[in-house]
Amino acid sequence: MTQAAESGFQKVAGLAALLSHRLARATEVIVIVLLALLVLDVWLGVFVRYFTDLPLTFTEELARYLMIWMALLAVSIGIARRAHIGVMLLFDRTRGKMRHFLLGVLDLLALFLFLFLFYYGIGFTVDGARRLTMIYDIPKSVPFASVPVASLLAVIQIVLVAIRDQAALMAEPGSPRATA
Amino acid sequence: MTWVALTFFGLMAFGLPVGYVLGIAGIVGMAQIGGEQFLAMAPKRFFAGLDLFPFLAMPFFILAGEIMNRSGITHKLVAFADALVGYLRGGMAHTNMLASVLFAGLSGAATADAAAFGNTLVPAMVKNGYTRPFACAVTAAGSIIGPTIPPSSLMVVYGSLMGVSIAGLFAAGILPGLLICLVCMALIAAFGRRWNLPKSDKRPSLLRILKAFRESLLALVMPVLILGFILGGVTTPTEAASIAVAYALLLGGVVYRTLAWRDLYEMLARTALITGVVFLIIASASILGWWMTFEQIPQAIAAGFLSISEQPAAIIGMILLLLLTIGLFMDINAALIILAPVLAPLTLSIGMDPVHAGVMIILALNISLMTPPVGACLFVLASVTGERVEAISKALWPFLVVEIGVLFTIAFWEDLTLFIPQLLGL
Repeated sequence: MTQAAESGFQKVAGLAALLSHRLARATEVIVIVLLALLVLDVWLGVFVRYFTDLPLTFTEELARYLMIWMALLAVSIGIARRAHIGVMLLFDRTRGKMRHFLLGVLDLLALFLFLFLFYYGIGFTVDGARRLTMIYDIPKSVPFASVPVASLLAVIQIVLVAIRDQAALMAEPGSPRATA
Repeated sequence: MTWVALTFFGLMAFGLPVGYVLGIAGIVGMAQIGGEQFLAMAPKRFFAGLDLFPFLAMPFFILAGEIMNRSGITHKLVAFADALVGYLRGGMAHTNMLASVLFAGLSGAATADAAAFGNTLVPAMVKNGYTRPFACAVTAAGSIIGPTIPPSSLMVVYGSLMGVSIAGLFAAGILPGLLICLVCMALIAAFGRRWNLPKSDKRPSLLRILKAFRESLLALVMPVLILGFILGGVTTPTEAASIAVAYALLLGGVVYRTLAWRDLYEMLARTALITGVVFLIIASASILGWWMTFEQIPQAIAAGFLSISEQPAAIIGMILLLLLTIGLFMDINAALIILAPVLAPLTLSIGMDPVHAGVMIILALNISLMTPPVGACLFVLASVTGERVEAISKALWPFLVVEIGVLFTIAFWEDLTLFIPQLLGL
């Protein structure tokens, strides 16, 4: 790579790092709200069950769906921070071009998984529109949509951190996790 | 099947995160069965793998542990443990082990224990003349007590997936957890004499014990309360976990006043992140799990085991060997979801009680948390203390040997595990 091209790539990588960081922070705010709602919902369920005679039955269903939305959205934050860990024995022993290549392959594989889940998740969500949840009678597509939405977020984060960390490897040969 | 196995082991070796490996291997399996409709099953299994109410207990126990940690409750528990055993030769190592037991009732994950003690007790031990690898080894050995003594995230996963009483598993984990603590303390006592481990000049004092007990009483009440609710059948584990969060918030926010709003944001963010990482593994593992069931892999593995020997003792030995080996290079949540449906029917076929079998499987996987190359506790300790994984592993092996001894004792001594569940009528 020429020096000009490399400097151009570093600029793009800087932008990717910023976008990834901002997107992760925004997602974090959403998952924190969902988690707080989840805690309040289960507290409400406990309170109603033990201290009142109210026939509130929605808390359990709501809790399950809040939990799934929260956890799946948080997957993309884990990607931005490289928190999903694998066996790094081989990776830690590579240097230079080999390390760039291996990181690229790993990110492409991750991209494949989430693109797959996004693509088939759309069909899964559309099918869910025809069925209703047990207690709320709302279309099942509302909870099911967590799969394609979270997968799309994951895809965007994978692309952004791939650019960010390839550039970081170029600038300073070391673990990409150090940049997380 | 060959392609799935190749994908699985190949991608693991290349360093792809385990949550991704499980999903991709499952997709390869579904593609091999054939047809678009099988591929379309993947997101369905991915979602269904998480759609279980008991799983809610996991983020709640993680959050309660985070709050307890952040509000300084860990320090009070350590002070209490120190008052009890700190005066012995190798006192700080004993304190570390005993504090792991006290902390176990507050946290559901071994890594939280390793991180908390790695940050606090390890530097304190080094300052007092212990070598750092030994201090890390004691912490690692103690950290697996956390997920053995209830509450335990792994028990929630196992109980939910295999239809085994979570309350029963919780009750059955208590004695094995205490036994691990005892044998490790015996080992420390033996090392104490041989290696002349440091000895504090503090005298054992009933007054000091009572003072430390009074200061940590509110923290010690929490596990008693939570377990009382679950084991007494008053609440479900999920509800009890949500009460644990409320109690921890009350302690940190109102009683001790050590928590600020800003801390709450960070604790919720950390809980969500950890949950996301673990749940991705669970969701992806259920894609691969579906393929395994479709291909009748559990039956094939069971038949393979039975063809070697039909003796219960030999089968148990093979199961433990398999779990300890798989645990060497696989995340324990993933290992549990993949292997539990394979091994649970096998244990039933040789007449093991489901709760006993569950505790044995979970303990074997917990032990693998501290074995290289992928023992999560080792990595957490290495990263928070700056010690090399190899040095910790070297100091750790005597603890590993005695803990594997405890595992085999539990596997072949059913009454020890089932004593408390039977006492409580679970």
